[in-house]
Amino acid sequence: MNLDWSVVWDNLPRFWDGALMTVWLSVVTMALAIPGGLVLAFMRLSKVRVVAKSATAFVEFFRATPLILQIYWIYYVLPAYFDVQLSQMTTAIVGLVCNISSFNSETFRAGIVSIRLGQWNAGRAIGMTDRQVMVRIVLPQALMRVLPAFATTWVSLFKDTSLVSIISVADLSYVSLKIRTESFRIFEVLTAMAAIYWMMGYPQAKLVDWLHRRYRVAE
Amino acid sequence: MTAGQTKHRRVSHGSAPILALEHIVKRYGALTALEDVSLNVNRGEVVCLIGPSGSGKSTLLRCANALETLDGGRILFEGREVHAGDPKSARAVRQRMGMVFQNFELFPHLTVLRNITIGPTTVLRLDPAAAEQRARTLLAKVDLSDKATAYPAALSGGQQQRVAIARALAMEPALMLFDEPTSALDPETVGEVLTVMKALADEGTTMVVVTHEMDFARRVGDWIVVFDKGRIIEEGPPKQIFETTTVARTREFLSHLGWHGESTLEAADVAPLDKEDIAR
Repeated sequence: MNLDWSVVWDNLPRFWDGALMTVWLSVVTMALAIPGGLVLAFMRLSKVRVVAKSATAFVEFFRATPLILQIYWIYYVLPAYFDVQLSQMTTAIVGLVCNISSFNSETFRAGIVSIRLGQWNAGRAIGMTDRQVMVRIVLPQALMRVLPAFATTWVSLFKDTSLVSIISVADLSYVSLKIRTESFRIFEVLTAMAAIYWMMGYPQAKLVDWLHRRYRVAE
Repeated sequence: MTAGQTKHRRVSHGSAPILALEHIVKRYGALTALEDVSLNVNRGEVVCLIGPSGSGKSTLLRCANALETLDGGRILFEGREVHAGDPKSARAVRQRMGMVFQNFELFPHLTVLRNITIGPTTVLRLDPAAAEQRARTLLAKVDLSDKATAYPAALSGGQQQRVAIARALAMEPALMLFDEPTSALDPETVGEVLTVMKALADEGTTMVVVTHEMDFARRVGDWIVVFDKGRIIEEGPPKQIFETTTVARTREFLSHLGWHGESTLEAADVAPLDKEDIAR
């Protein structure tokens, strides 16, 4: 096989821009999907049935359908039938946030319900409101407990941002595939793409492992 | 004999009881946990609730602290009716009533100091420095000054329970409720918790204690209430309950615990546990 790695070196600035876009998409998505997931989790735990049910419907829809379909749907169906045209970037963010919020809500909800009733009673017994107990006692413990599951979602998100390349958002995948098409150096370009994803993704997984060890709540 | 024989003189200092339960009923589905229970607690009194497991003692404490809604009767605390269903009323009661749980229920993600200050700072809006001052005083009182920065998981059960007592005291409650505070403890740490509780009683703290520690009830209690199957079957001063009871069910319960009336009582007086742990 005749390899020519110069295609990688020559296109480094483009790979760099693509990688930045991937990081940016991941960070922005998660920054919105954490509050989004919390809101959905609180809604599902609500005693008001219609609130709980609508959150459940939302979550189950976005968890049970492929992200690629969700992105297509927002990008092509909304403008055609509902007269809503979102930009490519907005489409990407909306699709990712809805999807990841759904996964986060399940993670957070599992954490919240795993905290035993005694902790609620202990908080209430010193006169706290339920909201204070939730924010100061239950949530901090719940979030630490679900950190590993949350980290799995984060790493998935980081890779799933590649799906937005189908609507021409210039993330690492889009850029890489474009360079491949231009240069026909399939092996070199895809290997570089894999290496860049791995170099970014692996330290994140390790960082979360470390966070979990460092801040675990002993009981 | 039933609740009819409750006419004993008690020290009420001429004032209304701080806590009055009037004919309260509590059901869980088909199970009746409390059936027409009436009980008064006067200021400065230590009332001990004893009786078999599942007889309703702990349920009574949770009702008093508005952690459970009632199915009948009413509860008056400091002269005002407790409405567990109304969050405002419930919080007002709980702020004035400290509660100590069987399983401690310290907040595992907070240090010992923060466990004690979180109530005063979030509920009473005390400033952090004053709350910390109060917490350190209380830690000294429960003999745990060196554990202020530790996390609960690093403490023994007895130490955790003493922190839990300090946490409840930090709210400066008018009444302390203890729900089997030593039942989850290793035998060797029971004494240190009872010692703290006895010191509180000696200071005049008003306490309601659900306990299986008959020795504590006899020595520290001013008034003993015997539960069975969700009802009060007898109440009276310790001497009546532990020495001269004529209620068969009370005698039966005490004998199951290895308590055989006066002669054993004398033997218990010289048992090492009394001397070392309680009278220390």
